[in-house]
Amino acid sequence: MTMGEHDITFDAMGSHVRLLIGEPGPGMDPAPAAAERAREFIVAFDAALSRFKPDSELSALNADPRECVPASELLRAAVKAGLAAAERSGGLVDPTLADEIESAGYVASRAGVPGAPLGVALGEAPPRHPASPNPAARWRRFEVDDEAGTIFRPPGVRFDTGGTGKGLAADLVAAQLRGYSRLIVDCGGDIRIGGADALVHPYEVHVEHPLTGECAHVLRLGTGGVATSGLNVRIWRDADGRYAHHLLDPATGEPAWTGLVGATALGDTAVEAETLSKAALLSGPKGGREVLAERGGFLIHDSGRIEAVGPLSVGRLRVRIPDIPVAGSRG
Amino acid sequence: MTERARARRPSSALVLWGSVALFAVLFALLTYQLSAASAPAPQSVLVRKVIKRRVVTTVVPTPGASTVTSGPVTTSSASAVSAAGAAPVTTSAS
Repeated sequence: MTMGEHDITFDAMGSHVRLLIGEPGPGMDPAPAAAERAREFIVAFDAALSRFKPDSELSALNADPRECVPASELLRAAVKAGLAAAERSGGLVDPTLADEIESAGYVASRAGVPGAPLGVALGEAPPRHPASPNPAARWRRFEVDDEAGTIFRPPGVRFDTGGTGKGLAADLVAAQLRGYSRLIVDCGGDIRIGGADALVHPYEVHVEHPLTGECAHVLRLGTGGVATSGLNVRIWRDADGRYAHHLLDPATGEPAWTGLVGATALGDTAVEAETLSKAALLSGPKGGREVLAERGGFLIHDSGRIEAVGPLSVGRLRVRIPDIPVAGSRG
Repeated sequence: MTERARARRPSSALVLWGSVALFAVLFALLTYQLSAASAPAPQSVLVRKVIKRRVVTTVVPTPGASTVTSGPVTTSSASAVSAAGAAPVTTSAS
């Protein structure tokens, strides 16, 4: 945070949300007013897209008996983000596991509910293996028609925006704040950074270790997104007394125990980072390295070992932006 | 007579001067060709000025925590953010 940066924190989407907003561009509102508008947007986003709220538009979509359902621009954007994440991850980040997550015991919001001890859960967890996509790939049966303003899907197949919702909210707010000198939108750890000044004076983002809660690394980021997926927060004992968490293996519908307790990923956007972090964790150590190889990130193993992957493994990340020919001449 | 004619060899001086003369002729010929050749026409050269933009992001390992380490990392680090009195921005599972 630099001098003159507006900093607000509030609760939404079952998480803490934080906004840091720098100086406005010419003709733009002061940062406090922009922050308040952003807060209102995120609250409305949560109200429309939470599967825990029976009056949300998402709940209405999931309960609608029609195949083709009229949907707001926001819901269509959320469904498209979920489908893009599924496509990008080869079906590992599957947005159609609402029934399975509820069967695992995640029926109501767990905001403010402390997670079960991860270290104990790891000791009782089944043998580790990477998660796999569900061969049925129900998410492929969703279609979004922006011209008609509708979503088409088989009735009964419920959509869950939880996998990408926070990242999408961060990206949308960052787009609204374009023109401010620097900004960071942190939706429960899914973070989007922007602003020209941030390129010159990058933000420091701490990576939390899921087992200790301590800062494991500090990233200096001037643009793009970063997100972390982990087992340490939304973890509980199910009705049978077994430990369960919210990151499911799409092939089995059961919580995935892959040998990783956390993954942090970088991306161009928060949605991309969130998708990659979830896909990396679900892929296990070997597959996770491949997922994070291009953009970079960290894998946190069950042992607590932190492994830097891709560009981060060499201690310096270089993001190439395509070369721009700016002049041509003949001599 | 035939035996004597077959055994006759050119004198070494003749070979020497013959070689020098041949070299001089070839040298003169090549020099003439080089000097007579027209200079190449000026060729257009396209110069493209390219600006390479790189956003460099560094990873600052916290004290006691290398990028690859064994066992749980138990260290934390102060940052410019916390030094300024505000909580650091943290990415974590939620």
